[in-house]
Amino acid sequence: MSLPGFYIDDLHIPVPIIQGGMGVGISLSGLAAAVAAEGGVGVISAAMIGFKEPDVRTNHTEANLRALRREIRRARELTTGVIGVNILASLTDFEAMASCAMDEGVDLIISGGGLPRTLPGLVKPGQKTKLIPVVSSGRAAELLARMWITRYNRVPDAFVVEGPLAGGHLGFKRSALDAPESRLEVLVKDVVEVAKKLKETHGRDVPVIAAGGIYTHQDILDMLAIGASGVQLGTRFVATHECDADLRFKRAYVDSTQDDIQIIDSPLGLPGRAIVSPFLRNVSEGHTAPISCYCKCMASCGVEQAPYCISLALISAQRGNFRAGFAFCGANAWRVNKIVSVAELMHELTTGETSDSPAEA
Amino acid sequence: MSVAEKVKEIIVDQLGVSADEVLPEAKFVDDLGADSLDLTELIMAMEEEFGVEIADEDAQKIVKVQDAISYVEAKKG
Repeated sequence: MSLPGFYIDDLHIPVPIIQGGMGVGISLSGLAAAVAAEGGVGVISAAMIGFKEPDVRTNHTEANLRALRREIRRARELTTGVIGVNILASLTDFEAMASCAMDEGVDLIISGGGLPRTLPGLVKPGQKTKLIPVVSSGRAAELLARMWITRYNRVPDAFVVEGPLAGGHLGFKRSALDAPESRLEVLVKDVVEVAKKLKETHGRDVPVIAAGGIYTHQDILDMLAIGASGVQLGTRFVATHECDADLRFKRAYVDSTQDDIQIIDSPLGLPGRAIVSPFLRNVSEGHTAPISCYCKCMASCGVEQAPYCISLALISAQRGNFRAGFAFCGANAWRVNKIVSVAELMHELTTGETSDSPAEA
Repeated sequence: MSVAEKVKEIIVDQLGVSADEVLPEAKFVDDLGADSLDLTELIMAMEEEFGVEIADEDAQKIVKVQDAISYVEAKKG
């Protein structure tokens, strides 16, 4: 059974699979374009996207904007499909990055990591970029919608609702991660109710996109059955040839066991899910990596108390160096057993038919 | 009703705490158990009640009950 497409405002999404934005440098134009070419939504992660620019240490905002612009344009050259950018609301460069993405005409911006309060205020006349906040509860969805409507008369174009099985930084307290009321099905139903109310009060369809721990075709059908219009997956797209990370990053997923996947306390004061690495073992034993912070990239970073720089750790991991970094991952990363093409993965996700190539040892 | 009384009433409503906990020196997060969504709701409720706009930079500085009262009093002149 194939999956039905849907609309975000007037934007048609042929296949209801959104590739989650993954920073630093895990989803850039290569992965995003490949997913978009298959009819899904390809999402470039804006977090520290300028990490390869020679002047990132001296001129970080400009370096990030230059790299973002280049990645968007490269994705557009590669495909006519739907391209979005994920921009964390807590980035100190948030407003500059969001304006840049809209000036480049991306189809949509997905923004979490805090409530993107000011996002609609950055839209210039004529810009049609869809604005999609990431929320982790019905309450947050309702509050964000109320804020955008009151301040900007703008209804969110869709919601991504991210549950506790997602990868990377999580919008839950540690103690709430396993709570029954935090289960993704519960959250999706709550946010669907908020969307229904918005339809009644503002006459707008606000599709709900479910995220966090979705792994199989059946998982997707289950989410669509409870009212989601689409799903967002990150982990599965890491294990593709087109993913922009070093092969060793992808191998870390393939090689991981369930025990290797742990909840860590990030320097940003949030829990995060990651694959344990030599670096994380050192940190948990109390070793720290001195920080020479050059940009205060995240508003919520406790630079003074942080045991290491999250940006540098993630950049190291992107390059395959787990002595100096670690890979964020979703709760199901241990189930990944081979690296496939995006086309193969999208076929599996949309039809439930798996390819015959054997798992890697 | 004075600004201080009205602000306290909003805090009691929004955070579900009892009025005698809402002391001027009480901190929203540490003493009154507010999370980040509670704080956002509180700010929005004050904006609606007093017809003022509270910028995000200002909102971050509102840590204690008295901060909120002083902010609104200053804005209302």
